[in-house]
Amino acid sequence: MSLALLADAALVLLVLGLAFWINAASRAFPAVVGYVAFGLLLALAWLRLSAGDVAMTEAAVGSGVTGAVLIAASVRLRSAETEAPPPALPLRLLALLLSGLVTAALAGLVLWTTGPAPSLADQAVQHLPGLGMGNAVTGVLIAYRALDTLLEKVVLLLALMGIWSLAKDRYWGGIPGPSRIQPTNGALILLARLLPPIGIVVAVYILWVGATDPGGAFQGGAILAAMWLLVMLAGLRDAPAISRPWVRLCVTVGPAAFIAVGLTGFALPNGFLSYPDSIAKPLIIAVESVLTLSIAVILGLLVAGPPERQP
Amino acid sequence: MTEFLLAASVFILLMVAVGLLRVLRGPADIDRMMAAQLLGTGGIAALLLLGTATALPGAVDVALTLALLAAFAAVMFVHSGGSS
Repeated sequence: MSLALLADAALVLLVLGLAFWINAASRAFPAVVGYVAFGLLLALAWLRLSAGDVAMTEAAVGSGVTGAVLIAASVRLRSAETEAPPPALPLRLLALLLSGLVTAALAGLVLWTTGPAPSLADQAVQHLPGLGMGNAVTGVLIAYRALDTLLEKVVLLLALMGIWSLAKDRYWGGIPGPSRIQPTNGALILLARLLPPIGIVVAVYILWVGATDPGGAFQGGAILAAMWLLVMLAGLRDAPAISRPWVRLCVTVGPAAFIAVGLTGFALPNGFLSYPDSIAKPLIIAVESVLTLSIAVILGLLVAGPPERQP
Repeated sequence: MTEFLLAASVFILLMVAVGLLRVLRGPADIDRMMAAQLLGTGGIAALLLLGTATALPGAVDVALTLALLAAFAAVMFVHSGGSS
């Protein structure tokens, strides 16, 4: 096992060193590229901690979609960036010392607490067969803490509304993005034609496998969104006008279906967001599928930005 | 076999660290971007080796997700005119 320890040590050193460097970077772009690399290493670290679901979310959302958004933002802001003089050395040392103290305190809490950590893992796993689930994380997200998951989706919807509200009045209901992109870049077009079919299959697979293994609606939705964005970026398809009925429908159908299933919980079993035992699994799969669609469309439109053209 | 896979993954992690130097030093933004792509490839390789060696659940699926989305950052970079 010493070799495994060596691999872990190398990983920890890489993660810590990169995190330090990202904070020390003087410009936004190098820091953002460092962050994308950091996400990848962090996914590796989560996987080593046997947290496959977190690793996959980090890979899909943290490194993939967020990284792409940050890169676009930092490139766009590059001309506006000013070379501010760095803060004085004592101030920087003080900041280093304080954040080091916080890290050390957290590490101390984990390392020197006595007794096993309080955990509900056993109870969570115990009831999973009743839901037809093998993956405890999906079980917790969709069944035990369904209300939190529902609110998460509503937050996504609110974020999208926030971005849309940045549109100028005359463009309301228009098309996101500055102008229709002419498909010129051959390599990009090839990628946008080759990758999405594979990506869609993988996204459906990730959604399906979420019942028993790491995966689920959010990760699948993020992959679908990335594939959609790829097609839009290559100029093969324009972004849809946000006033289109199908856009509005796709964006709201996920949370709506979740609420509808939750409300039937009042009539059938015994309360809001509880599933009848006999059809728990089909219901959960149905809710997750619709949620995946909503998440994909919302994430895609979030990256596409506010409407900037007439429909 | 497990030892060999682990040794290989440690080696690749070290190579990834060398590639990281390009991300840190640049000099041009395009160098950093390409180094990050290289790091993505190396990271996925290390992940698959570690996952196989220590039988981590879901390692292949995470690698699949990373591989699918790895090119996405570069696409965004080219699209927003970062290379010019």
